[in-house]
Amino acid sequence: MALLELSHITAGYDKNIILRDFNLSVNRGDFVSLLGSSGCGKTTTLRLIAGFSEPNEGTISFDGKDITHVPLHKRNFGFVFQSYALFPHMTVFDNVAFGLKMRKLPKTEIRTRVMDMLRLVDLEGFEGRYPREMSGGQRQRVALARAMVIRPDLMLFDEPLSNLDAKLRVKMRVEIRRLQQELGFTAIYVTHDQEECFAISDQVAIMNGGVIEQMDTPAHIFNAPKTEFIAHFVGFENFFKLSRVSGQLTAENGSPMHVALDRPGDAFTGCIRPEDVQILPAGSNALNGVSGEVLVSTFLGRTVQYNVRTAIGEFVVKADQSQVYPLGASVLLELSANKIILINPSNQ
Amino acid sequence: MTSHMRKSFWLLLVLPGSLFITVFMLIPLFSVVISTFFPESSFTLANYSGLIRNVYFQQVFGRSVRLSLLSTLLCALLGFPCAYYISRYSKHKGIMMAFAVFPLFTSPVIRSFSWMVILGKKGIVNQFLVASGLFARPQSLLYNEFSMTVGFVQLFLPQMILSLLGVMDSIPEDLTEAAGSLGATRFVSFLRIVFPLSVSGLVTGSVLVFTGCMTAYTTPQLLGATDTQVLSTMVYQYAMSLRDWAQASAIAVVMIVVTMLVSSVFNRLSRKINPLAA
Repeated sequence: MALLELSHITAGYDKNIILRDFNLSVNRGDFVSLLGSSGCGKTTTLRLIAGFSEPNEGTISFDGKDITHVPLHKRNFGFVFQSYALFPHMTVFDNVAFGLKMRKLPKTEIRTRVMDMLRLVDLEGFEGRYPREMSGGQRQRVALARAMVIRPDLMLFDEPLSNLDAKLRVKMRVEIRRLQQELGFTAIYVTHDQEECFAISDQVAIMNGGVIEQMDTPAHIFNAPKTEFIAHFVGFENFFKLSRVSGQLTAENGSPMHVALDRPGDAFTGCIRPEDVQILPAGSNALNGVSGEVLVSTFLGRTVQYNVRTAIGEFVVKADQSQVYPLGASVLLELSANKIILINPSNQ
Repeated sequence: MTSHMRKSFWLLLVLPGSLFITVFMLIPLFSVVISTFFPESSFTLANYSGLIRNVYFQQVFGRSVRLSLLSTLLCALLGFPCAYYISRYSKHKGIMMAFAVFPLFTSPVIRSFSWMVILGKKGIVNQFLVASGLFARPQSLLYNEFSMTVGFVQLFLPQMILSLLGVMDSIPEDLTEAAGSLGATRFVSFLRIVFPLSVSGLVTGSVLVFTGCMTAYTTPQLLGATDTQVLSTMVYQYAMSLRDWAQASAIAVVMIVVTMLVSSVFNRLSRKINPLAA
């Protein structure tokens, strides 16, 4: 049984419905990311789980119990804010101890747990400092410590690393994952950074317009996106129509396309990454060959990017910098058969 | 424009205003203050020593301070929940704020006269008190310290609400959310998070209310009586009725000194305890 279940959730207000018949299932011990661009509903979902707002319809259940109407302060979930939300008038120690004080634990136990947690997040010696005396990265670790010290079953993260510089972001995301695995809590992590979420998640739910378009492991989403939106998101830049003629998938120009990951269906949109398209001189022999003309060439360092016009659309191709083709050159593009992904199925 | 020209340009702009203030405010003010030390061409502190030893003055001074403190306390008690509600829960903040500051738009004379009607022997309050059986006869609610305090509170509550609102609005929403997520009820959240962070607003508001009450004239004059004088009405009496300008000036100077002292002490305090300064 899943640890957390959102069923048929409708959320939003007045004319602004953000989630409609939304469902989400999270297993115990998993690190789940909600990935999407602004306005997709990922933060709304997280805040509903936390208890900052209530859904208009639907139920939220945790560990088998219905918590839809359980008030915020009784939910026992740790929440890490994008802006950290540290209490400015309290020291680091008092900030971290706050949740424990609310649970009326004895002073000695509070002291032990707070100091242990500060050691765990590498902030030993900072207990007497105030938030305003600390750097962004340090404040972030205080926010983490404060949420984790109450030993919640579920930790909720709202884009916690957005306000840090790139190097720190990479370092901290590894820290968060390590702590999750060491302390064993279930995590729901909201972000718009694809690389960040793929690096540390067990499951990724890609959200678009209040709906989960695909929820899967990072590898599956990366290699086999289910929708055009996701394909764009993970780096597919070439899309072309395919239809089945006498059992064989065929492109718009009549050439047959051999697709290793074929499945039943009359028509699809095929997509392929720029890195998986080989650029060859015109007239070469190739499986899934498409002839075209070089429009633009962009030097990217180790690679060169070519925009090639073909009969079935414009293709973006990444090639090694040693492969030089002048503008206007006739070329042949080879689409690797095992790298074509089929999306948008339809039956005619 | 060279910097020399710019300087003279600014001086010219500032000159008319500062000249006006100097001639019509600073010079008269200084002459009043100086006159209290020189009633008859030689320096003397007799005006002040006489005043301080005057038992009646002591009573009036005590009443001024007492009523100002009481009004400040009442404004704080009433203003806090008001400001908190407007800041955190109100969906129509603009309208609520307009209601809160509405009294400031009417003249103190009109306001005081309205209270005279409401609190009078035949006024609404007395009608209710008698009709509900709480009292056998209409109570004397007017021309005493009670009516003066009511007038002060209504007059200065907007100041307190605005001061508190300013500070409360700058407290980020996610602080109370964070406290809630860690197990704090709304009440504990208010006590441990909102209240400590609003104290600087409370201090600022208290200074405004206290000094306002100490120096208000119309309200105590209309809602008080000759046996409930405060400093400002005492000044009026000495100046207009008794024609003792020297005494009146001395009392006025005492008022100025006291309010300036209280303001500066509390303002310095407020700046020290504002923890939101990052």
